[in-house]
Amino acid sequence: MHGTPLPPHAAHPATRRSRPADPSLKRLRARRLPWVALLWTCMVLGLAAAPVARAQQAPSFAAGGLTVCTNPTLPPMTFVNGTDGSDLAGVDIDVSRRLGAYWHVPVTFVSMDFVGLFPSLEAGRCGMVISGVVRQAAREVKFDAVPYQPTSLVVVARAGTAHVTSMADLSGKVLAVESGTSYAARIAQENVALAAAGRPAIEIQQYPTEDQVVQQVLIGRAFAFVSQDVELAFRQTQLNGKVSVIFQPDYPEYRNFAIYIRKDARDRAALEGAIAALRDGGQMTPILQRWRIMPGGGDMQAGDQKAVSGFNWRTFAAALVSPAFARGAAITLAMAVLSHMTAIGLAVPMAMVMNGRDGMLKSAIRAYVALFRAAPTLLQLLFVWNALPQFLPVFRESWFTPFLAAWISLSINEAAYQVEINRAALQAIDPGQALAGDALGMTRMQVYRHIIFPQALRIALPPTINEFISLIKTTSLASVISLQELLAVTQINVARTFEFTEYYAAALIYYLLIVFFFLWVQKRIERRFAWADRLKATSHAAA
Amino acid sequence: MIEVRNLQKSYGDFAVLRNVSFTVARGEKIVILGPSGSGKSTLIRCFNRIEPHDAGEITIDGERIDQKTELTRLRCMVGMVFQNYNLFPHLTVLENCALPPRVVKGAGREDAEELAMNFLHRVNIADQARKYPIQLSGGQQQRVAIARALCMQPSVMLFDEPTAALDPEAVSGVADIMASLSADGMTTLCVTHEMGFARRIADRIIFMDQGRILESAPPEVFFTQPRTERARDFLSQMIRY
Repeated sequence: MHGTPLPPHAAHPATRRSRPADPSLKRLRARRLPWVALLWTCMVLGLAAAPVARAQQAPSFAAGGLTVCTNPTLPPMTFVNGTDGSDLAGVDIDVSRRLGAYWHVPVTFVSMDFVGLFPSLEAGRCGMVISGVVRQAAREVKFDAVPYQPTSLVVVARAGTAHVTSMADLSGKVLAVESGTSYAARIAQENVALAAAGRPAIEIQQYPTEDQVVQQVLIGRAFAFVSQDVELAFRQTQLNGKVSVIFQPDYPEYRNFAIYIRKDARDRAALEGAIAALRDGGQMTPILQRWRIMPGGGDMQAGDQKAVSGFNWRTFAAALVSPAFARGAAITLAMAVLSHMTAIGLAVPMAMVMNGRDGMLKSAIRAYVALFRAAPTLLQLLFVWNALPQFLPVFRESWFTPFLAAWISLSINEAAYQVEINRAALQAIDPGQALAGDALGMTRMQVYRHIIFPQALRIALPPTINEFISLIKTTSLASVISLQELLAVTQINVARTFEFTEYYAAALIYYLLIVFFFLWVQKRIERRFAWADRLKATSHAAA
Repeated sequence: MIEVRNLQKSYGDFAVLRNVSFTVARGEKIVILGPSGSGKSTLIRCFNRIEPHDAGEITIDGERIDQKTELTRLRCMVGMVFQNYNLFPHLTVLENCALPPRVVKGAGREDAEELAMNFLHRVNIADQARKYPIQLSGGQQQRVAIARALCMQPSVMLFDEPTAALDPEAVSGVADIMASLSADGMTTLCVTHEMGFARRIADRIIFMDQGRILESAPPEVFFTQPRTERARDFLSQMIRY
């Protein structure tokens, strides 16, 4: 570098300071820029115009559009109306739409498993979470919470159960709660007190959706479940009074539903202002009335008023032919086929390396196989969807869809298993086969293509089909990253109607059809392997 | 035609071939005898380089066989038949013979199949052309393997104990084919334990032990007047057996 003159701006400290090296600083500046511009405009135009302009300004998390993460299994706050999985409804959905209108930005909803909500918010996949989540100090450590609707906790048991006077009365009983919620942790505190008093603990059972929680009480496995009063009021219309509140504990941390956003004092103030403006402008009341949280509500379309007992064939048949189920099944099938084909495409070259001489590449593949076989598939999905965007912001953009994320995760995961199947199949081929191919002047690739692969296929096919069938069912895990596959569609419909047997049966029919089709394909392919069996080969030749 | 000078090969510390030198004339039939582990198979596998040698020199038709040799061309010139036939089980007899000319030499399917049928006739197995290898007896399979190697139209044939896995009746069938090939002037190197067969087809017997050539003589000389003690022992063992 000696003798090279410094570029002129490098010598100038003022210029250097204005060029931040850290990209995060740049982002920060870019985000503040509209505010700076706004302030400047206000100063120029005069103070009179300022309050209007500021109230309409979308906060940073909604800049350019408001993306809302929600888990639509908690009517009347957030759920799916009708059999079509895309038709979201409820208080939270209406409030989000009003906020979008208030800020003049389009609103997009992303529905996903409850467990995925906060990781998605943190990863920047959505601007806010509104999903009947209560305001809680523990959650406010990491996120800002803005309350929008008062509520209270209720303990609910089957109708006719005697009321209790304290949580301690539930000692030794089974209590069902939704997993991922804070209820379990709260009950655990009660258990500490019970333990100190020498009494048996409340037995907590956690289920992934609220409807399954309710189901446990209906079928009598759980003594009671924990819910919010507004939700229960809505459930009662579905359950025809089959359950009743037996206790209403007053926990301060369960007094309000809140919207969660990433920590930002300015955004929080803007959201608080917007909620206050909606309330003051009389926009909240119609929403609450519509969903019967406040009296005087209009017609509530949700929740088919069907009997809970008995098998409703009509619901079952309707679910079977519904577009939502067909689309869910198509997504499941497409995901399984694409992921497995990609996995095989990745695994075959890796298996060929594994079948060859030791080396760096072989060790690397061995490490890959060990890692991806050891890590739970669910964890890998959550990692790709929620952790990856924190390292690489490009994965936060809209092209990185749940389908793509699930495809990548499942392919990489499945390839690890498929490598082992393919390696074993290659190893099972008599080395004399490759030797004969070599001696006939074939290249390595020709030997693989014409001699080894056709024979290895016969050995690899049954375990590969096995893996594929298992993969079809593994795709259901992708509901946590909001993929609306068959089981996600099923659960959303169960949450809506409580006709769980009918919808489970419909889903089962779809899974069976898919699996039986591929078993049939396997049989067809195996017919081509008659050469491996003397008797079959003879009858094959005679035919 | 084939010249071997000071050929050496070892697996780790174990020397399989120690300074092997000999020449083969065009059309000559060489039978290589020797106890197990004497390096016979390794030696002939060096000719088509499915076993690369460590040192020394092999030339075939004046062309040096080393790491620079284009393997496909070499292996079109030097055909090989294995003890365990190594037929491709997923292909019919006809496909076994037609596949190599198609993929290696780029022959058309019809041409390749016609060529294959010719050689299947040559080894008297054309009637089995549509069967899979698993449906054939050992002797039949080995005849297919010979036809398959011939389909590449090599100028040298290597036989690595071609009759070792066969029952006596099948041996004579394969031996007849090999004898008729020899009669057509194919340069042949054959590793075998079949003394009768060796006596019948060989122009010259090479006797190996512990990676060395101990004797190289016409069969009538070798079988009646072996020069070395080791060869005498070997022959007496064979006869007693």
